[in-house]
Amino acid sequence: MHPVVRRVLHGGGFWPAFPAVAFLVVFLVLPMLTLLAFGFVTIERGRIVGDTFTLQHLHSALGDQLIWRLAWRSFYVAVISTVLALVLAYPVAYLFSQTGGIWRTLILIAVISPLLTSALVRTYAWLVILGGRRGLLNQTLLQLGLIDQPLRLLNTDWAVIIGMTQIHLPFMILPLLAVLSGRDRRLEEAARNLGAGRVRTFFTVVVPMSVPAIFAGLALVFAVSYTNFIVPQLLGGGSYSTLAVQVYEQTVVVLDWTRGAVLATILLTSCFVFVYLIVAGGSRLSRWSEIRT
Amino acid sequence: MTHIHLEAIEKSYGQTKVLNDCSLEVARGEVMTLLGPSGCGKTTLLRTLAGFVRQDHGRVVVGGVEISHLDPNRRSVGYVFQNYALFPHLSVADNVAYGLKVRRRPAGEIRERVAKALQLVALDGLGARYPAQLSGGQQQRVAIARVLVLEPEVLLLDEPFNALDAKLRLTMQIELRKLIDRVGITSIFVTHDQSEAMMLSDKVAVMRAGRIEQVAAPLEIYDRPVNDYVASFIGRANVLSVEVRDGVVASAPEVVTNRADGPARLIVRPENLAIAGADACWSGRILFASAQGPSIEYEVEAGLPEPLRLVVPRQAGEAALPAGSAVGVRIVDPGACIVIGGGSGV
Repeated sequence: MHPVVRRVLHGGGFWPAFPAVAFLVVFLVLPMLTLLAFGFVTIERGRIVGDTFTLQHLHSALGDQLIWRLAWRSFYVAVISTVLALVLAYPVAYLFSQTGGIWRTLILIAVISPLLTSALVRTYAWLVILGGRRGLLNQTLLQLGLIDQPLRLLNTDWAVIIGMTQIHLPFMILPLLAVLSGRDRRLEEAARNLGAGRVRTFFTVVVPMSVPAIFAGLALVFAVSYTNFIVPQLLGGGSYSTLAVQVYEQTVVVLDWTRGAVLATILLTSCFVFVYLIVAGGSRLSRWSEIRT
Repeated sequence: MTHIHLEAIEKSYGQTKVLNDCSLEVARGEVMTLLGPSGCGKTTLLRTLAGFVRQDHGRVVVGGVEISHLDPNRRSVGYVFQNYALFPHLSVADNVAYGLKVRRRPAGEIRERVAKALQLVALDGLGARYPAQLSGGQQQRVAIARVLVLEPEVLLLDEPFNALDAKLRLTMQIELRKLIDRVGITSIFVTHDQSEAMMLSDKVAVMRAGRIEQVAAPLEIYDRPVNDYVASFIGRANVLSVEVRDGVVASAPEVVTNRADGPARLIVRPENLAIAGADACWSGRILFASAQGPSIEYEVEAGLPEPLRLVVPRQAGEAALPAGSAVGVRIVDPGACIVIGGGSGV
């Protein structure tokens, strides 16, 4: 037996995890591989034609201008939304780490409770807020006299970005919250003692120490934003599409499973690449944390 | 000349008074130790001086200038933390350079001063390492270099030897004292270890429950403790309830005192007691005996609330008297005994 395999099997950690691993393999990995495989075979009348492995579908998808445009939109919407989530999440996590008692509990409830409602419901809520002339937001702004004309928000990139940011915010806050509240405050006192003001201490001590959590949050939020198809579909409107929306439409609406599978392959692979880059960037910036004597 | 002056510092957290009327003067170039059990407020007092804790009342004066209400970054007070608090994400050199960068010194000057500071603590050549790659003793020296490079007026050290193992601790204590003498910086240590306090400092301030009980040179504290608390905290002491009659202690007439008649407490160091024959003040039975090379320790049950503790010099070849032996105990030097007021001794 290969030493690595032996260590996994007999290292003590494998068997307790076995039920979960088996569950994921049977109900996630295998179905997914099957689905992805549809993109590389020929299907005729609902049956796979044997021995017809082909890269032709992938090839034609990659040659399609529309697919590239959709992929680009998926990418920049996810990037903007992820960065926005970080900017919004950091102060909340920092506030949590600086307060105590009842405030801590309230912040935690506020952060976690959105996760208890379905993302679909929250997306519909944004539909009500952002929607057209009668939307809550436009009504309020018009009433306050801040705008003369209703803003056109729904069915734009911004509607999608706003919706996604709010829905994915907890995934950014939670890792930051854990790291920031567990940090060593004496490092900040040391910085103050060496002459640094509050702001400088924050950016030279607090932020660098939280780099691992920042990048964990970035990777997580990017992955779920990049592959989200519900928010763009509902808040982007009928003619709005992204790569993830296309996967859904080709598979469920058009019933072109081959196309759907090929697009899913592209979506998944590119997502892995981006997440890998984020994680690699993070560990490059926090290399100090892995140093041991 | 007074360099640091803490004036009637008070600090409460809710109902708990952690510092109660703490006043302290430290002369220029002097090494002072705040000594006391954990929770006595010694670290809080040090943190008040650094500005991490803001006192409710009282003044902090350094070099004739009141700094009571300055933020920590505006005080010229170097602070070495108990666990050193080195920045783990910065190299040793960058840790030491941190304060100079904050002060926007030119790059060339920073390089030069960092190199000098690392040389001062004998860490030259380790500038590129990260704190996690250093031993505890080396980390401590980085922490000291990091504050000394800024040439602060005052050096504060919070239990700096706690994280070191016993053997290294002694070496580092000696090294640190030599370094402080070389730099000539006014320093305040915090410790709960009395031998560390004796070894390091010119003066010791003994604290209890938020109050400073006595400030004096280490030997003076040992020889002339102001009360039984100080006596038992510095070294060991037998504290006995006695009766003063006609200017002498009734149970030990050779101890002369100018105290008024009445109940009092007699403080006798273990090494000031000896095994005696006819001229004994107390007689009893040996409970416990242990020969330890240069000396023998005895515990003698003499009808007092607590057994008497003796440390007797040992001659070559001499064995301890067996437990259970009936012995007398006498005072070696009556002049070295201390009689203090109050009857409720141990």
